[in-house]
Amino acid sequence: MKEFSLSRIGQFIRRDITIHKSTFVTGLLVGIVLIFLFCIFNMMWDKQLSTDEFFGIFGLIYIPMGVLFTFSIFKEFNDAKTNQLYLSIPLSIPERLASKWFTSTIIYTLVYSILAIITGILALLFGIVIFDADFNVPSLFSIEYWNVLKVYFLVQPLFLVGAISFRKNRIGKTLLFLGILVLGFTFFNFFLFGIFNHNHGLFSGETLVSEAFDKTTADFSGLGRWFYGLLLGPLMLIVAYFKMKEKEV
Amino acid sequence: MLTIKHLNFNYPKSRSVLKSINMNFEAGNIYGLFGKNGEGKSTLLKIMTGLLFPKNGSCLLDGYEMGKREVQSLQHIFLVPEDFELPSISIQSFEKVQSCFYPQFSQKQFYELVKEFQLSPTDNISKLSFGQKKKVLIAFGIATNTKLLLMDEPTNGLDIPSKSQFRKVMASVVDENKCVVISTHQVRDLHSLINHVMILDNAQVAFDQPLHKVSDGLWFGKPSSNDPTELIYSESSFGGKAIVPRLDKNETEVDLELLFNGVLSAPDTINAIMNQTQHDERV
Repeated sequence: MKEFSLSRIGQFIRRDITIHKSTFVTGLLVGIVLIFLFCIFNMMWDKQLSTDEFFGIFGLIYIPMGVLFTFSIFKEFNDAKTNQLYLSIPLSIPERLASKWFTSTIIYTLVYSILAIITGILALLFGIVIFDADFNVPSLFSIEYWNVLKVYFLVQPLFLVGAISFRKNRIGKTLLFLGILVLGFTFFNFFLFGIFNHNHGLFSGETLVSEAFDKTTADFSGLGRWFYGLLLGPLMLIVAYFKMKEKEV
Repeated sequence: MLTIKHLNFNYPKSRSVLKSINMNFEAGNIYGLFGKNGEGKSTLLKIMTGLLFPKNGSCLLDGYEMGKREVQSLQHIFLVPEDFELPSISIQSFEKVQSCFYPQFSQKQFYELVKEFQLSPTDNISKLSFGQKKKVLIAFGIATNTKLLLMDEPTNGLDIPSKSQFRKVMASVVDENKCVVISTHQVRDLHSLINHVMILDNAQVAFDQPLHKVSDGLWFGKPSSNDPTELIYSESSFGGKAIVPRLDKNETEVDLELLFNGVLSAPDTINAIMNQTQHDERV
């Protein structure tokens, strides 16, 4: 018996989408309305909606909505009335994790992106008619779009761990954990920066300390970029796997 | 089929719920798992399904450790929990999205049972009463055709006609390849349904016997005043009904409620008689 079957993952994704259809649809509708309104408000000032501005709005809604969706599809995992049935479904832990991750990242991103682009174009057409705005079609191939996606794919596994780990006040506790993690990494970066750059006299003057602090957030070394960009997400997925494995009702 | 050996369990910072439990569940039987409230019946069923992990000991289904929650083992077990919530979709949609995980699932059987329980496939589950939701889940559990079907207080929330309907349905579905374990504290609800009794008391197995052996060894009824047989247990509230060693008396139907109370009050005496009967049969 295979413990990792793509067919079972597909069936589980179908199950999740069917069960959470109304949550999914409501969330997307709220997202569409907000994107439309923000795009219109943005065009009211300068009669244009640049790619940069559009994907700024896109990210503002896409990331929080994605986080909420992640928490929503893990609700039955932590609910005492639903988790007995959920955990006894014949599915291995890697299959459960893969299907939840795929639904809350790939499917969510695909659906949301397409709807957001259509909404953006509609808002632009509206802006052209009402404000005589410039026509600038937002493209899914722009670097701004991929930067937003990168951020979501980086932080989503962390919220996924939060959705699995906490039974109550899951979003608040995850945000607190994230805050502590960011603070920890900032200090870690600061100390590394200090250790490797102390001979450049960075800590000799008072103003330089704050300058060093700024640099720790701005200056991302190749190693740091690799660590945060490529390692943190998969690392959190490994944590999620073990959290799921040790889960009891 | 499912073997439990030297199993111990306790919830964090609390007393032992199960102590050194040894049990064996075989196909072709309907087991009645009885015990007072809080005696660990639900906990035991959750361990059997792999939803809780034992502190010591093992729980194996055909050699697979249930705590590992492998597909191989989960495909052969279905639990109808005592308290549950089903998704807010139609019965039909529920069947479609959930049945694909159980290779032996019978769609025909499911819809027949749904009809038997006077429900419609198009009914939205969220609009059903708790008892009706329970019927949906019981029908689904039976239709999965898993080797092992566990039911935790299945008659809770069912009205009186539904309880007899439940007994009728359960009696018709069991076969030699299937094992059903029904946990309840409402002993009367399983009258004429089970063929093996297991009683948990003080976190241990106080009684574990097939029903035919119980009727071989024990006699249930109202003994006459000149009957010299020693009473094992009697209750005035049952109209003077008592349990006595059967010896050469005619066989009687096992009174589950009386047996349950008798085991709780005199477990050693009853188990000694049962062991003696088995010994005599072997000789």
